[in-house]
Amino acid sequence: MSSQTQLEETLDLSKFFDNLWVTIVWDDPVNLMNYVTYVFIKLFGFSKEKAHQLMMQVHTEGKAVVSSGTREEMERAVQQLHEHGLWATLQRDDHG
Amino acid sequence: MVYGQRYKEMIMGKFKGSAAAGDLSLALSNDELHILINLVEQLLELLGERNFTHHYQSDDPFAQLMNATLGNIQSPIEQPDDPVLRRLLPNGYADPESAAEFRKYTEGSLRTLKQKHLLYLREQLVFPVDHELPEADVKITDPTQWLIAINDLRIALAVRLEIDENGYEKYEVMPDSDPQKHLFTVYYWLGGIQENLISHL
Repeated sequence: MSSQTQLEETLDLSKFFDNLWVTIVWDDPVNLMNYVTYVFIKLFGFSKEKAHQLMMQVHTEGKAVVSSGTREEMERAVQQLHEHGLWATLQRDDHG
Repeated sequence: MVYGQRYKEMIMGKFKGSAAAGDLSLALSNDELHILINLVEQLLELLGERNFTHHYQSDDPFAQLMNATLGNIQSPIEQPDDPVLRRLLPNGYADPESAAEFRKYTEGSLRTLKQKHLLYLREQLVFPVDHELPEADVKITDPTQWLIAINDLRIALAVRLEIDENGYEKYEVMPDSDPQKHLFTVYYWLGGIQENLISHL
């Protein structure tokens, strides 16, 4: 019984990871740091600290994953980021 | 990304009120209104919105320079050729096939949203002009739409002027005789408006 349940959980989990997508924001030479932080807080509900940290990651490393979820959710996030003038793409999570 | 604090002083003291109280406004001279309205109208045209009449005749040299910089637009259908549009309406996927599919379903609404924000900004800017006020406190009833519209103007100018990470350093040593110097000034002035606006939220 218990191994059966475990197997089902494993199967469910793999299905979940198959559906995991991420939204990536890329660095650009125009967007203001404070504006990007503001957009992250507004769209994703991050704390100011978390939003600032992600903005700095984009700035210093050239990109950062700002959100993860289903493909539909990430397409919506990318569209909202584009509306705000940020450069964003979505892709399947590498760790999935 | 850019540290905008250094442009902030260009606009110091021009903002009044607060977003929280709903009475935020920005003091702009007639010339400044003229420049902003021109830019907004040109970007609206670039985005395919033609359902408005131009507020100013483009007979002064500065307006013509702006037209020459932002104008001369092809109207794109699927994949924009114009570099400003490629940046304002970017690919959602790195992979070209998924990007094309995504664009098919989303580009129209993204374009409409950008037009909406710019039309809103234009409406707020033309109010003092239509009422012939010499110096205007332009009302900022929706700071978020302002931020998005101003940001899109900055993006459009930056692409046309090929501004990169070292843009401000280049601007500082640019001779006044350079014909693009005014446009760079407008670009950094817009950055000042945006940076101040964020700090007033």
